[in-house]
Amino acid sequence: MFLSLSPMALHGRSAPLTPPRTEAQAVLNRDRMAATDEALLAWAVEGDRLAFDQLSLRHLPRLYQLAHRITGDAAAAEDVAQEAMLRVWQVASSFDPERARFTTWLHRIATNIAIDRTRQAQRIAPPPDESLPAPGPDPEQQAAARQQRGRIAAALQEMPARQRAALALFYDQEMDGAEAAATLSVSTRALEGLLRRARRFLAGRLEG
Amino acid sequence: MQLSRFLHLLDTYGADLQRWPAIDAAAARALLATSAEAQADWNRAVLLDEALRDTRNLPDAATLERMRAHVARHVARTPPPARPGLLHWLRPLLPMGSGALAALALCAAWLTFVTPAPVEDNGFSAPRQIAMIESTE
Repeated sequence: MFLSLSPMALHGRSAPLTPPRTEAQAVLNRDRMAATDEALLAWAVEGDRLAFDQLSLRHLPRLYQLAHRITGDAAAAEDVAQEAMLRVWQVASSFDPERARFTTWLHRIATNIAIDRTRQAQRIAPPPDESLPAPGPDPEQQAAARQQRGRIAAALQEMPARQRAALALFYDQEMDGAEAAATLSVSTRALEGLLRRARRFLAGRLEG
Repeated sequence: MQLSRFLHLLDTYGADLQRWPAIDAAAARALLATSAEAQADWNRAVLLDEALRDTRNLPDAATLERMRAHVARHVARTPPPARPGLLHWLRPLLPMGSGALAALALCAAWLTFVTPAPVEDNGFSAPRQIAMIESTE
């Protein structure tokens, strides 16, 4: 949405009437849609706010989904997703593509914010969202599906935030074990333990 | 593959065998073809996977636009992120905590080699003041 350019470009009215400088033209003509996350971030460090906006557009939905799974709350998920992107803007220059993938780095920031927020707030489990469409036309099936979603939502709120984060990264975000472990800053074996405990807990609640 | 091993992996990776380690996935398929118990456990895992998928929440268009605008507003007001300093190339070479260690070593050197200047007794030092106070009580 916003772009930083050279002082000449910023003060267009007072600048002499000369053709746009090739450097500024090159910045304007960047293909941000096709650029990799790493390229967009590098451009953002140079002051290209349009590149950062493209990163936001690309990643906010998944950050929201991740945060919603961990916090269990729509408003908190929105806050966490926004805060994660703003944190990325602040520390963008510290990102080293040789040490981590951008998505791993970004999800680690968002996960830590979401876990911290959950621990601070100790939010009460929200009531199951009855407005969600239930699969299947049969009213009995719809009622059963609604009931199951309610049980899952309640059980998710009872488990530790790190277990919810492990579920969110491995199942919702479909990261592989190594990347999910790196995002949570744990070993792959520890991640597997988190996933196992979480699934067994949920399975017990579904069957109970 | 033993049933216990199958359950262990099922509890970790879920029912989608494509997400399992390749060797274990092949063995699990073979077990599923012959074991009714494994099949029943796998069916339960499928239900749990579906329940997890059903409870995922993506933002609607209005929420996404609100978040995007919020981020863009703050980014517009904030200066671009600072570029890495001249010595940023040193960072990968140094282990975590090396800065604190260097500061500690500097303090230790200072305490060892720099002798404090002798305190000049101007006749009004703290011990003397205390003695004067005590003598007046």
